[in-house]
Amino acid sequence: MSLETLLLLLAWGTLVGLDLVSVPQVMIARPIVAGPVAGAILGDPWTGFALGVLFELFQYDVLPVGAARYPEYGPATVAAVSAAHAAGGGGGGGEALGIGLGALVGLVTGMMGGTSMHLVRRLNARATHAANERLEAGDARVLVRLHLAGILRDATRAALVTAFGLGLGQLARALVVGALTVRGVTLLDVAAVSAGIAAGAAGTLRLVGRGPGLRWFAAGVVGGAAVAWLR
Amino acid sequence: MTPALGKSLLRLFTVQGSYDYERMQGIGVGVAEEPLLRDLRAAANGGGGGAAYRAAVARSAHFFNAHPYLCGLAVGAAARAEHEGVPPAQVERLRAALCGPLGSLGDRLVWAGWLPLMSALALIGVALGGGWRAIIGFLALYNAGHVALRWWALRAGWAHGMGVAAALHQPVLQRAAALSGPAMALAVGAALPLAAQYLSGAFTGWSRGAVAVVAAGGFALLWWRRGKLTALRLGLALLAVAALAAGLWR
Repeated sequence: MSLETLLLLLAWGTLVGLDLVSVPQVMIARPIVAGPVAGAILGDPWTGFALGVLFELFQYDVLPVGAARYPEYGPATVAAVSAAHAAGGGGGGGEALGIGLGALVGLVTGMMGGTSMHLVRRLNARATHAANERLEAGDARVLVRLHLAGILRDATRAALVTAFGLGLGQLARALVVGALTVRGVTLLDVAAVSAGIAAGAAGTLRLVGRGPGLRWFAAGVVGGAAVAWLR
Repeated sequence: MTPALGKSLLRLFTVQGSYDYERMQGIGVGVAEEPLLRDLRAAANGGGGGAAYRAAVARSAHFFNAHPYLCGLAVGAAARAEHEGVPPAQVERLRAALCGPLGSLGDRLVWAGWLPLMSALALIGVALGGGWRAIIGFLALYNAGHVALRWWALRAGWAHGMGVAAALHQPVLQRAAALSGPAMALAVGAALPLAAQYLSGAFTGWSRGAVAVVAAGGFALLWWRRGKLTALRLGLALLAVAALAAGLWR
């Protein structure tokens, strides 16, 4: 991977990480967007689509209400696509060979992302504490400066998480790829895809609950299964 | 749109930029409200300093937590109340009273409705071979609703001031909240089998059966241990088991 590609992935991961909570929440942070764009940067959009779909299913397990703590799957998907591409890439139609390795890198990066958001929020609280007196005096300049510093902190966090994920991807490729047989790769892929499907189904059912929405969900599953069978 | 409302709207896109566990969105809400309070500074200049402006800015940055897309409602309403000379304690009570309803409505409408609905349609689009069109469609449609909601919230808050509760009872909003749940359930339900087929396209023979069995087992575990076991932990555990099995089964 060239330095230019690496820097582009880092920049994309940073934007994606910033979008999740801070600016501007237009949902480029969703894996279904972050993945394909990362794939396009690597010249391998199919791996991007496959990992994007997989992590979008994991995303259904997350409901970002209040001050809830949750994994961050945006930069994680960028790192996952990079790792999967390095491990073999995709053949089209979602037939990515490195999807299991990508998922491993992505899930660890997602966990790091969640922890780092918690740390940034604590740093923000500390900065607010330090400026409390001037805030209570209604100093608008301090208010804006504090806010901009928070955004900068989040951007730095997103860049560091993406860099960690990209580095982890390179390390995993070096350690794992040569050591795995074709059967081993398939086992990792099976684990990743199964976990994604389970996450998507369980996360959605939690949202839907036992009310009337459950009937709509069942109707959707039947319809989707029929379309999948007919294709 | 007045320049002040435009600036406030733009700043609302960054409302969670300085999110923390004490004031939550307070600092971001204060930053978004500040352009709407500048008139107070001008008015006060005629009659004795910017005390009203500074006091209003200080209040605007106090604790606030709601759905980020609907924060504009509180920003507009509180700014209008400050202009109307409402007593400070009442402005504080208005902000506190809006947290719960705005959070609950936004969570139902967006996080548990509009967003998963659009995401599911994107998944269906990608699974059916829509590729980039599905992604661009997702971003365009989702953000049409997103930006409209932010703009409506700010305008409604600014128009109603202390009577902003009336805006929350608008029939369109209530109907959207009621419809988004079933629509989301239907779309995500349809997306799951299609996404599963898309992801397992490369598997043949035993591996296809293994995906079905492991996914069913994983789902059962997540459902049984909900609140304790997360999808991330399940994914990592399954990958660890797979790596171990790959080492043993050569």
